[in-house]
Order: sequence, then structure tokens, then C-alpha cells
Amino acid sequence: MSGPTLYVVLVAFGVVVGVASGLLGVGGGTLIVPFLTLAVGFSQHSAEATSLLVILPTAIAGSLALRRRGVGDLGLALRFGVVGAVGSVLGALLALALPADTLRLVFAVFVGVVGLRLARDGIRGERSPASGHRRAR
Amino acid sequence: MRQTLVCRAVLSRLHSLGLDSKLLAIGVGGGLLSGLLGVGGGIVMVPLLVLWAGYAQRDAHALSLGAIIPISMAGIATYGVAGEVRYGTAIGLAAGAIVGARIGAGWLARIDERLLKVVFGTFLIGVAVLLGARG
Repeated sequence: MSGPTLYVVLVAFGVVVGVASGLLGVGGGTLIVPFLTLAVGFSQHSAEATSLLVILPTAIAGSLALRRRGVGDLGLALRFGVVGAVGSVLGALLALALPADTLRLVFAVFVGVVGLRLARDGIRGERSPASGHRRAR
Repeated sequence: MRQTLVCRAVLSRLHSLGLDSKLLAIGVGGGLLSGLLGVGGGIVMVPLLVLWAGYAQRDAHALSLGAIIPISMAGIATYGVAGEVRYGTAIGLAAGAIVGARIGAGWLARIDERLLKVVFGTFLIGVAVLLGARG
């Protein structure tokens, strides 16, 4: 792919990533990085760096749209995210010292199990708290 | 002794910002895993917010999306994106993604929570397969 065709594909794929991000509250790196490495032929490093730069404006646009609709609490989310940012810097440092591939496999199993459980809860229609409320602890 | 007091003061300050112990643990844990494995924080944070901290599914997704703003800023600051970013590609993707995010957020505001659980659960299963293939 090159030139205008590539651009049309990029924007179209961007729309898909954005919808997933706004609907599911994820950054979209999980979709962008494999797309850039496998379909466009970027190196892993380039793909991850480019993906980070796409995630930030996407999360801002989605969060502002949610705030206009009165969903969630953006102030709390930003404070929560600052805590997460501290964790992610620690994680990036730890990654240099740990066997990341093994961890990734363990994590893949965890994500798969959680996905199955959530899908099952949704299909069975298990009660979950209404928006704006947390389950009593 | 003095350190304990400092810790307690910091914790109570954080709690007064609405960050209770579970939110703090999920923030640090989610950030750690995303930094460690290079996966987005949302995949970790949303399930923990719902299954452990007891947030409503819709609120958990909104909380996660907002949290990604400072987390990705930290990522950009520490990852050293300069020199590695392909700006043309980033601009093309972001142009589409900003439009898409507004559409997706509109859906999140209206979608039935059960359907949201099924959609997100299916997304996680897909991610698990992708991660497994990479690992």
C-alpha cells in the first residue's frame, strides 16, 4: 500500500479503533500495534511509539464526548489515571528485568478467562449495579 | 514511625480525592501491567473495576477511558517517541480515531449494560488470542 490508498485505509482503520476506544474505554493500542506491524510493515518500536501518539487525542475526544452526555466522572478518572501513570512508569522499568514473553502468555490466559466470564454474565443477564452506583462492599 | 505517618497522610489525602484503596490498587496494578506488557491499561482496568471494585459496567468504561489520558501522556514522556513516530501515519489514524471515539462514546452512553458486557467480553477473548499468538 502507498500514497492515497494507504491514507484512506489508515483513516478508515482509525475510525474502527476510535469506535472501539469510545465504546469500550480502551486506548486502542492492542488494535493499532498489530495493524501497523503486520499490515503496514512498521517495526515494533515505531508501531508502539506511533500508537501512543494516536491514543492520547482519541481518549481525550471520547472522554469529552462522554462528559457532555453526563456519563462517568472525568475529574475522578484523570486523578485515577495519574496513579496509573506512576504504575506504568514502574512497569516499563520492570519490563527490562523480567521475562516479558512468559508474562504475556500468563496474562493472555487471564484476559481470556475474564472475557469469557463477562460475556457469560452479560448473556445470563446477571444483575449489575445501575450506572452511577457501586455494588455494596 | 515517621514514615508510617507520612504514608497515612498521603493515603488520606488520596482518599479525599475520591481515590479509595481499591481504585489506587487498580490504578497502580493496571499501569504496571500496561508498562510491563505493552498492552493498554483499559484491558486490565475495566475488568477489575467491574468484578472487584463493583463499578457499573458503563461507569467502568468511562473511568478507564479518562484514565488513559494521563497514562498515555506518561507513556509518551518515558517511551521516547521522538524519532520513532511516523507522523503522517499518526495523523491519518488519529483523524479517523477522533471521529470514531465520538461515535463510540455516544454508543457507550446508550448501550444496554448486558450487551456491553458481551461485546467487551468478546473483545477480551480476541485480545487473549492475539496476545497468545504474540507470546
